[in-house]
Amino acid sequence: MWLELVLILIIFLGILILGNNRLGSMIQLFALQSLLLSITPLLIQPGLHAGIITIVTILLKVVFMPTLLFWAIRHVSMRWEVYPLIGYGKTLILCGLLMAIAFLISSKLDLPDKSTSYLLVPSAFSIVIIGFLLLVSRFKAITQVIGYLVMENGIFLFALLLLEKTPLLVEIGILLDIFVGALVMGIVVNNINQEFGSASTINLTNLRD
Amino acid sequence: MGLFLLVGLPLLITVIVFILKQDKLIKLLCFLTILIHLLVTLSFWRGFQYVSFNRFLGLDAISQIVLTIISILFFVVSIYQIGYLSEKKGQDNWIFIGCLLSLLAAMTLVTMCRHLGLLWIAVASTTLLSAPLINYFKTPQSIEATWKYLLISSFGIALGLLGTLFLAISAISLKTLFLDDILNNAALLSPSWLKLSVIFLLVGYGTKMGLAPMHTWKPDTYGEAPAPIGALMSGGLTGCVFLAVFRVAQICFHAHLQEFVSPIFILMGILSLAIAAIFITKQKDFNRMLGYSSVEHMGILVLGLGLGGGAIWASLFHAINNAFAKGLLFLVSGNIYQYYRMRKVANIQGVIHRFPLTGTFLVLGLFVISGFPPFGMFYSELLILKQAIAAQHYLVIWFYVIFLAIIFFGYSKIILEMAFGKPEDNNLPQEIKKENIFMIMPLIILAMVLVFTGIFIPDSLYSLIDKGTALLGVN
Repeated sequence: MWLELVLILIIFLGILILGNNRLGSMIQLFALQSLLLSITPLLIQPGLHAGIITIVTILLKVVFMPTLLFWAIRHVSMRWEVYPLIGYGKTLILCGLLMAIAFLISSKLDLPDKSTSYLLVPSAFSIVIIGFLLLVSRFKAITQVIGYLVMENGIFLFALLLLEKTPLLVEIGILLDIFVGALVMGIVVNNINQEFGSASTINLTNLRD
Repeated sequence: MGLFLLVGLPLLITVIVFILKQDKLIKLLCFLTILIHLLVTLSFWRGFQYVSFNRFLGLDAISQIVLTIISILFFVVSIYQIGYLSEKKGQDNWIFIGCLLSLLAAMTLVTMCRHLGLLWIAVASTTLLSAPLINYFKTPQSIEATWKYLLISSFGIALGLLGTLFLAISAISLKTLFLDDILNNAALLSPSWLKLSVIFLLVGYGTKMGLAPMHTWKPDTYGEAPAPIGALMSGGLTGCVFLAVFRVAQICFHAHLQEFVSPIFILMGILSLAIAAIFITKQKDFNRMLGYSSVEHMGILVLGLGLGGGAIWASLFHAINNAFAKGLLFLVSGNIYQYYRMRKVANIQGVIHRFPLTGTFLVLGLFVISGFPPFGMFYSELLILKQAIAAQHYLVIWFYVIFLAIIFFGYSKIILEMAFGKPEDNNLPQEIKKENIFMIMPLIILAMVLVFTGIFIPDSLYSLIDKGTALLGVN
């Protein structure tokens, strides 16, 4: 019961991020989403293993990442996402359609483990789709990083299906990748700022055929 | 011991490089480390059989092929960097060499993985370690290229992780991601999750490999990266990711999903050839042309996997020759850039008159990558064509021949113009540079390697490729 409620809230927060144009509140919403995400392991299978994952996830996704992102936008002095590639309304409608498809596909797939919620697979798909839409429809480098992080949250939900089956190694891999990936991206964002005066990938169009 | 020398030593030396930071010393250290890596790799060749380090790591025939490619490429680059890095000093160089060595460790790890989760971690780390190398010049263009590379590759990597997770779900009755366990119990995998997993893995790793339509980062990155990095990426890194794709094919073939996966491979292959054919003919920049050329050859590799039978042998053989040919051409492009300081083909004319050695290798490179008869690529491209005819894929034959012809025309137009065109006096650099011995020696080594892998194929190489082909259950 609680798990379903949390999953629905996670999707809801994802949609809010997609419809938002203020970078600051996007990061806050992402932090909130990650907080809810990090307690799902405890809801699925309470225990020491899940507890460790929860703590590590909170440290990385709720504390470290948002701090890094806030630091980056302060440096870049950017507050708004201007001119998205696809308008906000259109992205939301597209998101709704794709989510419906995700639910349809998930109902066709046989769930390997009956004990977990039937909402887990479709909501994981939906979060991945929301992240993907953010990634492709916005120009700001920071928004693209947020999109990537939201996508990683969706992948994390998939990994929860395998909570007791996958060795810890894979989970460390997931967390490590997010950590280093965004770190390098942050540094590059900083460089973009020095060279172009704004961290918008709209300026990154010298290279083309 | 071998394991420590292959993965641990480069990592250890990376730390030392970051502590020492002395230009001459770190270059020498880099060279020695990679020399040891090469010697250890070559020592595995004597009477090769499956080497297992532990449950997670081991070397089978295909790993050995890719590992040797990587080791030789890094070896020539370690000679090349002595001359190439002589212009910049200090921080840029020690970051460069440090990343180079840890990239070697990561790529070696990719070849040895026997666990699909670990394989994914290793592939992901190669992306992160190569990003600072691409951004060596720190110009606006190279930052743009690095950003595109990071974003698109990370996206591909994320899809690859999803694919790996789906594979774990399909193997839930086995509760494992070890390659050997999955291959031995392929019949127990749940087909619907496996199909989903294969699609995600192929798109994910395909992005990293640079297959059309996920190739868009490739010309930008190869165009802006320093030449030795271009050589390592187009020869070594794509080879590593090809290995990951090969593993996916291995699982599919064992699970009797060949009929599901072959059309995907063929489609990706033909599409890559088409993209390369369209963009190579009107290319004005030599390095970007090499990027599209890499898209073409990756297309041929997966096309070979898709056609099956003898084409798989050809595909592995092609991977070897492509790696060294790309290495040769990228290093030539680095030399040309050092002499001319220009990238546009129109400004680089008459290389063979002014820099005879570099010019000779440029023309040699043309013969190799366009698949001229004495070289290995001619043989592998012909074998793939033969398999397509035998399997009666008429549409594939038609497209394959047409696109290869167009691409050949594009290569010859650009490279012959650069080699034999009439040099204009007004765009001469002020000082005429001499050809640096450290930047010519790697070219000679690569040309010799190409002769051995393409023309006089040693028996050990022949049998190793046979063993690699047998991994897919094909004779």
